[in-house]
Amino acid sequence: MSRAARTIRVDTLARVEGEGAMHINLVGERVADVKLRIYEPPRFFEAFLRGRHFSEVADITARICGICPIAYQMSAIHAVERALGLRIDPAVRLLRRLFYCGEWIESHALHVYMLHAPDFLGYQDAIAMAKDHPEVAQRALRLKKIGNHLVALMGGREIHPISAAVGGFYKVPRPEQLRTLVEDLKRAVDASIETVKFAAGLEFPDFEQDYEFVALRHPDEYPFNEGRLVSNRGLDIDAAEYEDHFTELHVKHANALHSVVRGRGSYLVGPMARFNLNSDKLTPQAKQVAADVKLNPPVRNPFRSIIVRAVELVFACEEALRIIEQYEPPSQPRVDAPNRAGVGQAITEAPRGILYHRYAIDEKGLIVTAKIVPPTSQNQKRIEDDLREYAARLVAWPLDEATWKCEQAIRNYDPCISCATHFLKLTVSREER
Amino acid sequence: MKTRIIGCGNLQRMDDGAGVLVAQRLRELGILAEVQSGGTFELLAGWDDNERLILIDAVRTGAPAGTIHVWEGSPPQLPHATHFSSHGFGLAEAFRLGQILNCLPERITVFGIEGDQFGMGEQVSPDVLTATERLAQQIAKEFASDLQQEAVQLAE
Repeated sequence: MSRAARTIRVDTLARVEGEGAMHINLVGERVADVKLRIYEPPRFFEAFLRGRHFSEVADITARICGICPIAYQMSAIHAVERALGLRIDPAVRLLRRLFYCGEWIESHALHVYMLHAPDFLGYQDAIAMAKDHPEVAQRALRLKKIGNHLVALMGGREIHPISAAVGGFYKVPRPEQLRTLVEDLKRAVDASIETVKFAAGLEFPDFEQDYEFVALRHPDEYPFNEGRLVSNRGLDIDAAEYEDHFTELHVKHANALHSVVRGRGSYLVGPMARFNLNSDKLTPQAKQVAADVKLNPPVRNPFRSIIVRAVELVFACEEALRIIEQYEPPSQPRVDAPNRAGVGQAITEAPRGILYHRYAIDEKGLIVTAKIVPPTSQNQKRIEDDLREYAARLVAWPLDEATWKCEQAIRNYDPCISCATHFLKLTVSREER
Repeated sequence: MKTRIIGCGNLQRMDDGAGVLVAQRLRELGILAEVQSGGTFELLAGWDDNERLILIDAVRTGAPAGTIHVWEGSPPQLPHATHFSSHGFGLAEAFRLGQILNCLPERITVFGIEGDQFGMGEQVSPDVLTATERLAQQIAKEFASDLQQEAVQLAE
C-alpha cells in the first residue's frame, strides 16, 4: 500500500455534543498518535461554584449541559445532601428515579436515532436519513417527546429543570398529572422494543476490546442515583472513595484531564458498562428483548452500544411506568437543609455514564471547593485507546471513509464533550515511515 | 391561532444567550415565552400542535452585532451558511427535518440577533443587550393582543 503522507481532516465533527478536536497520525501502517482534545466547561463551573450557597448548586450545574441537566442536578444534590447529612424520603427517591428515566429516554432516543444511526445506515446526518427513512425519524421524535413531557412535568420546564432541590423537590407532581403519561409511556415501551430490533439489525464492525467497565451497582435496581461503584476488575467502592481509586492526568494536548483507574489506566463508563455489570437488574421484558437479539453480557464491541442504549430505553420507559403506577406524593416533598460544614461526594448514572461530584461546604453553607468529573472526561482516554486500535485497521481505507469510521467510533461513546456546544475537529494525518 | 414563542440559546455562552434574554424579558412583559437550548430535536418535539411559531436565536451572519434579522415562512428561508447560535445542529436543521416529517407550524417567524462573542461566560455584548430589549418590546407590541388573550385562555 501507499506510504505517502496522507491527512484526513474533518473540520467539524457533527453529531457529538461538544467542542473539541481529534487528531490521528498514521505513519505507514502504524497509528503513531491519537489525541482527543477537549475544551471542558465543568472546569469553568467548578470555579464558578466557589462561594455560592449550596442551594444554588443544582440550578447552576444543570446549565453545564442542555442534554443531561438532570444528571448534573442529581449528582450535585446527592453530594450536597451527603455533605449536610440529610436523609431523604423514599418517595422523593423514587421521584428522582422517575426524573432520571425522562432524561435517559430523551438522551438515548436522540443518540440512537439522530446521532448514531446515520453512521450505520450510511448517511451524513439525520436529515438525509429522514428523507429515506421518515418512519425512523418519526419514532425517534415520538420517543423524544415522551421523554420531554416527563422531564417537563417533573422539572417544571423542558430544559434546565428547576424543581429538584437539596432535600427533595420544590414542587412534586400530582398523581393525576403523572397518570396522563401512562398511555404515552406504554406506547414508548413498544417503540423502544422496535428500537432494539432496529439497532440489532444494523451492521457492526468486528471490533472487540478488553475493557474495564465501571458503573454503579445497586442490590435491587438498575442504577440511577444510588449504589456502589463497581468494575469487572474487582473495583467495589463507595462514592466517597472515588478519588482514591481514580485520578486525572494532565495531558498536554487537552484542556480536559484524562481520568484513569489508578495503576490500571483507561476504563469505560456508560450504557455498555451498566449493561454488562447490571443486566440482571433490568426489567423482565428488557432482559427478554436483549436476549431475543442475542445481546448478552459482556458486550465488548463498542459499536453495539447502540443496541444497549435501545435496551436501556425499554428499561427507562418500563421503570417510569412502574414508578407512576405506584406513585403517592411524598408527605414532605422537601426536608429542611440547614447550613452545616461538610464534604460530600456522589455518583449518579448520566445517560453517558457515571458523573462524579464532590463539594466541600463551610458552616455558612457556601461552597469552598467543587469537583466535577463528567462521563465523557472519564471515557476520553478510552476513546483514544479505541481509536488507536481501530484506526490501525483502517490504514488501507480511503481517507474519507477511514475518517467517517473513526468519527463513528467516537460516537459510540455519545460524547458530550463540552456539554454546551457542538464542534469537534477531527484530523487524521498520514506520513511515510 | 395557537402561538408559541421560544427563545433559544445558552446564557453561559455570552451572546448566544440573546434569544433567552428576549424570552425572559417577554415574560416580564406578561407574555408567555419559553426558553430552549435550540437543539434540533428539542425544537421539533414541540412544534406539531402549533399554528404560529416565533423563534428568537442568536446568529452570526457577518452583520454588525445587535442587528435584528427577520425570516418568515414555513419553513423560513434562512440564508445559507448563517451560523445559528453555538449549535452545529440547530434551527436550520430543525426546519429541514420538520419539513421532511411534515410537522412544521403553519406560520413561522425567526428573529435572529447578530452576536459577536460566543465564548464561555455570562457577559453579553452591549449592542446585543440593547437589541434584546428592542426586540422584546417589538414582539410585545406586535403580538400583545393575541398572546395575552392566549395566555388568559391557557391560565384558565
